[in-house]
Amino acid sequence: MTSTPIPGPDAPTPAGREATLPDDGLQQGPLIPPRTATTGEPMIAINAVSKWYGSFQVLTDCTTTVSKGEVVVVCGPSGSGKSTLIKCVNALEPFQEGQITVDGTKVKDRATNLPKLRSRVGMVFQHFELFPHLSITDNLTLAQRKVLGRSPADAEKRGLDLLARVGLSDHAKKYPGQLSGGQQQRVAIARALAMDPVVMLFDEPTSALDPEMVGEVLDVMVELARDGMTMMVVTHEMGFARKVADRVIFMDRGEIVEDATKSDFFGQPRSPRAQHFLSKILSH
Amino acid sequence: MFANLDFGVIVSSLPYLFGQGMVFTVTLTALAASMGVVLGTLLAILRLSGVPGVSHLAKGYVELMRSLPLVLVIFWFYFLVPYIGAWVVRSPTPIQVGAFASALVTFTLFEAAFFAEIMRAGIQSIPKGQTAAALALGMTRAQVMRTVVLPQAFRNMLPLLLTQTIILFQDTSLVYVLSLTDFLGAASKVAQRDGRLVEMYLFAAVVYFLICFTASSLVRRLHSRVAIIR
Amino acid sequence: MNYTWNWGIFFEPSPEGTGTYADMLLSGLLWTILTALASWAIAFCLGSIVGVMRTLPSKAARGFGTAYVELFRNVPLLVQMFLWYFVLPELLLPAAGAWIKQLPNAPFYTAVICLGFFTAARVAEQVRAGIEALPRGQRLAGTAMGFTVAQTYRYVLLPNAYRIILPPMTSEFLNNLKNTSVALTIGLLELTARARSMQEFSFQVFEAFTAATLLYVLINVVVIVAATFLERSLTIPGQR
Repeated sequence: MTSTPIPGPDAPTPAGREATLPDDGLQQGPLIPPRTATTGEPMIAINAVSKWYGSFQVLTDCTTTVSKGEVVVVCGPSGSGKSTLIKCVNALEPFQEGQITVDGTKVKDRATNLPKLRSRVGMVFQHFELFPHLSITDNLTLAQRKVLGRSPADAEKRGLDLLARVGLSDHAKKYPGQLSGGQQQRVAIARALAMDPVVMLFDEPTSALDPEMVGEVLDVMVELARDGMTMMVVTHEMGFARKVADRVIFMDRGEIVEDATKSDFFGQPRSPRAQHFLSKILSH
Repeated sequence: MFANLDFGVIVSSLPYLFGQGMVFTVTLTALAASMGVVLGTLLAILRLSGVPGVSHLAKGYVELMRSLPLVLVIFWFYFLVPYIGAWVVRSPTPIQVGAFASALVTFTLFEAAFFAEIMRAGIQSIPKGQTAAALALGMTRAQVMRTVVLPQAFRNMLPLLLTQTIILFQDTSLVYVLSLTDFLGAASKVAQRDGRLVEMYLFAAVVYFLICFTASSLVRRLHSRVAIIR
Repeated sequence: MNYTWNWGIFFEPSPEGTGTYADMLLSGLLWTILTALASWAIAFCLGSIVGVMRTLPSKAARGFGTAYVELFRNVPLLVQMFLWYFVLPELLLPAAGAWIKQLPNAPFYTAVICLGFFTAARVAEQVRAGIEALPRGQRLAGTAMGFTVAQTYRYVLLPNAYRIILPPMTSEFLNNLKNTSVALTIGLLELTARARSMQEFSFQVFEAFTAATLLYVLINVVVIVAATFLERSLTIPGQR
């Protein structure tokens, strides 16, 4: 990582920079506006969500919450529904029963402006999904301009600041195909952050990466977590979970089997299924 | 606006439309397609043979045919075939060949270029390992082509070959420019004779649509079955 | 063989009295190009809309798109030409029909509309295939950024899909160009029609058709070269 260290949430922040985009010197500040709300307030509330593909049930009565500033890791065997659940949070996947509320807005509600809701929820995908026909700069600024209506100059400034923070300033003029997987994923994180989201969703952000690139992406995520970003992370990286997670959710066959604090989960998982999963994950 | 339409003219001309017109269309399609596939496969093999001259000639022929409008090619052969015939039988004057024979030669030679491209893709889709394995068993190149590569290529390409045949079926309507009595030609003649253009052309469109839509639906079903087997 | 070649025929005046046979063929070439470009404009826009409709979540939109493609793909072009030229004016209100029939250049306008609608079905299939070839995550990523469906297509899906389908679209463009010759049946004086009338007037069959053939080959080469340049200029750095 070539970026400057990012201070933790307790570090003093320069006064007067909280509310608006900083003019300069973002290098020194946190990646996100410091949170003003108290922790414990639910940012995401998932309530009794069930989902079917035809007659096949993929999610069964899932209920959990993610509080402001909390980092929640979702793990489980493949096909357990964890990716589907996280995609329900910003309505990329529809669900038939239950309700999800993001920062007070109901996801399944005809009155909800979904594009607006989604613009406030950052998402990072397994396969990065940078737009291949756009330069890195344009990838970072397109949605800022078209969705948030920012001026090209403001969008570019915000985008390039974040690009610097993920350590890729030199690559602003390149195209996604010219970057390594790890670099692309760091750009994808910067792209999501450029929208000033209130929460970040990560859908297996490191599982498509070559092993030597996993670290650089996790480093950015760890810094983000320490800055106080609310995060919901689907991942198998238990090292990441140990380092920054507040809670760990274990899913299997579409159900939330375990929903525990980090220390409880790693100390004494209550369900045999979670124990079995952990023993397999940690043994290699 | 449909008040003065007379669909009775269709009923009374059905025997002519189908007995002559459609028989001509179907016969021309079937013969040109089967001969076109054979010739096209030959062209594809020649093009892939890598023999200098031969493969360029095959490529040139295919590219030329594919860059010309079918209507122009129909005119070309309409005037050229009598001369070719004369050359073949060493006659001093252009010989008269029937309109059907002329059309058959045209469509066979024209469609062969398109079938050749399909077969070329089909042959190239067979993994090189298949050829290597067959050669390792002691087969000759010709044997490998005939018994290993072509059967697989045909199977893979069958849906595309059939789709091309449906296009050929539609294209045969262009013999109209030679005033031949294919299905559309028959409909057109009745239309002109009785002054019933609207009825006859609408009817022709419906018949073509029903046949081609049914055929292409069947090809789609075949395609999905072939896709599953593979 | 007793065919008398006369390559000088092109410089002899045509019986139309306005120029040589060469001028006659060149005017045919111009009409061919004009018809091809005008109908391609319709085909490209309409085909893109129909192709996009076939990829939308809405069942009604997909159904309409499919119906359009099946309808225009399963009726021979010549029959469609006759429907537009002979049948449509009769089915309109008498006044409208009469107005259409007395339009100057009616064969040209009819050919443009007919070819536009016909080729649109084929363009639609290419556009649909291009969109479906993109990774599903691209649509999700666009949606997750807060783009509306229209924005996702405009900024993410279509720019990539058009790049993928550039080669087959070039063939469709050339097919459309070749198909303009079908319009000679409704009286459009395009290149093939002009070669045919030259043959009728002068009896120099093979000179006339050879010239037309060379002109068609020439257009093909020009279009393919242009497409290669276009492809090169649209190549994204780092992409295979």
